[in-house]
Amino acid sequence: MSNDHNTHFGFKTVAETEKAKKVGEVFHSVASKYDLMNDVMSAGLHRGWKRFAVEISGVSEGDKVLDIAGGSGDLSKLFSKKVGPEGQVILTDINASMLSVGRDRMLDEGLNVPAAQCDAEKLPFPDQYFDCVIVAFGLRNMTHKDLALAEMQRVLKVGGRLLVLEFSKVWQPLSKLYDTYSFKLLPLMGKLLAKDADSYQYLAESIRMHPDQETLKQMMTDAGLSKVDYYHLAAGVVALHKGYKV
Amino acid sequence: MFKSISTRVLQHLIAQNSWANEILQPFAGKSVQFNIALFNTTLVILENGSLAIAGEANIPDAHVTIPPSLLLRLLAKDETARMQIDIEGDTHLATELAKVLTNMRWDYEEDLSKVVGDVPAYKIGQFTRQAASTIKDTGINLASMLSEYWQEENPLIAKKRHVEQFNSEVDTLRADTERLEKRLAKLSQAAADDNKPASKSPINKTDVDSQ
Repeated sequence: MSNDHNTHFGFKTVAETEKAKKVGEVFHSVASKYDLMNDVMSAGLHRGWKRFAVEISGVSEGDKVLDIAGGSGDLSKLFSKKVGPEGQVILTDINASMLSVGRDRMLDEGLNVPAAQCDAEKLPFPDQYFDCVIVAFGLRNMTHKDLALAEMQRVLKVGGRLLVLEFSKVWQPLSKLYDTYSFKLLPLMGKLLAKDADSYQYLAESIRMHPDQETLKQMMTDAGLSKVDYYHLAAGVVALHKGYKV
Repeated sequence: MFKSISTRVLQHLIAQNSWANEILQPFAGKSVQFNIALFNTTLVILENGSLAIAGEANIPDAHVTIPPSLLLRLLAKDETARMQIDIEGDTHLATELAKVLTNMRWDYEEDLSKVVGDVPAYKIGQFTRQAASTIKDTGINLASMLSEYWQEENPLIAKKRHVEQFNSEVDTLRADTERLEKRLAKLSQAAADDNKPASKSPINKTDVDSQ
């Protein structure tokens, strides 16, 4: 097998064709406890980060929003309130287990949010359709991030914006503490709460392998987005990138 | 954390001042950096006509600089001070955003009413307005009393008309000095011309005298 067709799966190197399957297994395994683990892992901060992303999106009533790797539907729920009955929010995820959690939650909340299982690298939507595309904590699991970003850019209207909320490079003085938390405490919490230490070990590793703030900014620029700006959240543990299609 | 909270506050204020949306929406995606005294921040206009604090990699489209001395005059509502605000870049954008920020009002009664109810919120608002008005009036009275004392009883600060007279005298002195300098230069030139053996052009005395 050529090295050109290998990719990262946490700290391991796997064939590109296997990554999606392995990521699928991880999320299938954690789907039922995903929200609980998010709350525990981030001390509830992930809700604030998501709300901030919605505030920065500039989405207003009547807009069309695509929530990629939306999983349990936190962002779709927030966006559907913003766009109102005239707007449209579509929840997508490549993983059926995660998507079904989100779809059920939307139904339970009485929200009219269609859910579509699809690969972000081959989005089944026309060109220039959405006012805003968002991917939260999903980009790092994608095999070809450049293709996925290009697809997101394609489905955006001119003037539309792409938001990427993702783990990033933490502020240097905190990196040792963060490493201890990620590689010692996180798998332990995964073992105790979700009975799945391996999946949470993968989450910690995949965060380290994800590009830092400046690299992701450059990747978005390369995908055809303009005026890319980013925000450090929680000292860089997470970053929110925003770019425009012009 | 700071950016997140500030953005929420800004968006809340914009939501209370919905007139601002229409003014800001045409500038969506643009940003302005404000350098006010030692404090600086960049605001970005969002697509829905709201505002947010800009991120780490933002390149502002305009810069507004207000030095501390000007800030005091602006706070004292000195209209001439506005003309001295330094604006660089997209001046139309900066002016419109500054106009919105200046005219935006926090409807604290509305926010308070969600916590304590309408009537108590109105009463608290009324009390706050009266207290603020009393403090303002007392402050003005105290300032004018002190200024009168330091001008009349124990002169420590100059009266306005004395300052104006002094300025006028300085202007007159400057004009006189400039005239004298010109006359001296002309005389020096004439003397130099006189000393040249080849060109014996006489000094035009009437020219010098007429100065």
